[in-house]
Amino acid sequence: MNIILPDNRGRTIDPGACTIEQVLTELGINPIEVIVSVNGRLVPEDATVSGDDEIRIIRVAHGG
Amino acid sequence: MRGCDCCDEPAVARVREPDRHFCATHFTGFFEDRVASTIRNDDMIKPGDRITLALSGGKDSTALLLVLAHLMPAWENVRIVAITIDEGIAGYRDETVRAAVELTADLGIEHHTVTFHDLFGDNLDTLLVGREREACTVCGILRKKALAVAAERYGATKIATGHNLDDEAQSVLMNTLRGDLPRLVRDAAQENTCFIQRIKPLSLTPEKEIAIYLMINNAWKVLPECPYTRFALRAEVRGILSKLEYRHPGTMTNLIETKKKIGRYCAGAQVSEPIRRCRECGDPCSAALCQVCRLRHSLGR
Repeated sequence: MNIILPDNRGRTIDPGACTIEQVLTELGINPIEVIVSVNGRLVPEDATVSGDDEIRIIRVAHGG
Repeated sequence: MRGCDCCDEPAVARVREPDRHFCATHFTGFFEDRVASTIRNDDMIKPGDRITLALSGGKDSTALLLVLAHLMPAWENVRIVAITIDEGIAGYRDETVRAAVELTADLGIEHHTVTFHDLFGDNLDTLLVGREREACTVCGILRKKALAVAAERYGATKIATGHNLDDEAQSVLMNTLRGDLPRLVRDAAQENTCFIQRIKPLSLTPEKEIAIYLMINNAWKVLPECPYTRFALRAEVRGILSKLEYRHPGTMTNLIETKKKIGRYCAGAQVSEPIRRCRECGDPCSAALCQVCRLRHSLGR
């Protein structure tokens, strides 16, 4: 699956079917601090992803 | 795909307290209902109120304005005036000011911008030369004063800010780490800013849910981050608290509840100096000089 990180860098991983929360944990990202869209659609962190899904991770905490 | 707990649509969000899954429509309803009940339970807004809303153009104040603009027709004779404080931070504030101007124009809300340069004679970048590590303290003091001046200028009865649950919990932990009991027990509802009451309608709403609300309602904007954030204790506390909240859900709410309990135990006790008038500017404060006048002296102005 293709992942777009909060800093817009791309990354590809292949963990098989898993939840968004597992993907975030694998990447060392706290699910509290981000929202995630899969194939352009906002999803809860217990949604399952697999295969060619495109996962965009957006950081919510903003200093200002 | 997991569905919404209220209908057959797919869920776009999971709310942790209570543990629920919502589609976009039901999440929006849940979000706005919680803000409305926060306002109602703390009696934040009364008929005839003229509310000055501190609109930075960032996500929290944007969400606050969207919700209040949505709720406003149900309130009797309540008006909102949005105020943007332009501190003068190069590469940061211009974009958020532009976002604030566009949002208020779209919603038909009265909007004014107040600048540090006009009020204090210089922009923040210039005031901070050589003391960047104090940025958040200096900015916080001057921004609070600027907001109070604007609130008086536009006849406000309340000042509404977009502080969310995460902000509030971070403040409790920061004040505890600093050993600042007066600030810890100070109730936002009783806080004096030139005697205009401050209200925080998003204070029970997690930061993540604000982002979801904006994303669902096509109001999410990618904006630059304040360049001084890296100097702030808050940035460290934010990371610590969000880790704790993830591992131990309810941590942030527990901190807020603890603050309220300590406040009740301290009720009637003299935990800080009584409010008096600054001997130079006459503003309410708890020392001979208010924070702004002390800051002006330390800046040599």
